[in-house]
Amino acid sequence: MPPLPDPNGVFLNIPYDVEFSGLYIAYIVGLFQLDLVPHIASEIPGGKRRLDRIFELIQSCRYSIHDLSRVEVSVSPTAVPRFNMPLELGMTITWANLHPKSHIWSVWESEPYRLQRSASDLNGTDPYIHSGTAEGVLSELRNAFRRDRAPSVPQMLTVYGLVNSAVNSFFVRNGTRNPYSGGVFRDLCWLSQSLGNFYPPAKPTT
Amino acid sequence: MPKSVYITAPRPTSEEVAKSLGISKRRQREINAMAEELIRQLRAKERAAESTAVEPEKRRKRASAA
Repeated sequence: MPPLPDPNGVFLNIPYDVEFSGLYIAYIVGLFQLDLVPHIASEIPGGKRRLDRIFELIQSCRYSIHDLSRVEVSVSPTAVPRFNMPLELGMTITWANLHPKSHIWSVWESEPYRLQRSASDLNGTDPYIHSGTAEGVLSELRNAFRRDRAPSVPQMLTVYGLVNSAVNSFFVRNGTRNPYSGGVFRDLCWLSQSLGNFYPPAKPTT
Repeated sequence: MPKSVYITAPRPTSEEVAKSLGISKRRQREINAMAEELIRQLRAKERAAESTAVEPEKRRKRASAA
């Protein structure tokens, strides 16, 4: 029997690059606004093989989001395609097929029909399209995860703006400019969680 | 249209979220204070926006009464 997953846990399979950081924060804020808890690979301390850590995270979460919007050739002199996200999606699909009651995965893209070209084996899987914007991510999160009394997209955008305004102070405190570092991720998560207790005001407390 | 999930699991408590993230009590308190301050600033901005929106209406009423 597989371990029982966190029923509100969401594994985020996303690119760790600067250009994506706005959407990354939107995912964190949006998931907390829907009372879900995001997890990323870098939050787990080292010591184990990275792939083992990622697989444990996938197993521990009820849901996973696989954002393939930046599966592209890197801009470095030795241009190579980015395989991490498809690799983790493949691991997740295998896990979910073996344990269909334990895990639900979804694919996210910025452009419609691009997935059919980049991963045609996924034909029949409709991706969520966020159009590369924070508003798009929040709107699609609301479509993907339905909860009673979910806040509106403008309300979620307000919280997104507040969290964004605090990012620099988290960089200073954690001594890094990397928004994906474990410390900054935890701070972003806790601020999103804490703000959710105040805004929107009508949200029921638990 | 992709399939959506209707979530019926109980909302996680703050304690459960803290445990899941592994965040210290002290850091929780610091960030909670930051959140309260951000909300206070947001409310002040909202009040200011409301009053500037109401002000022209008040002036118009005063002018028409005079």
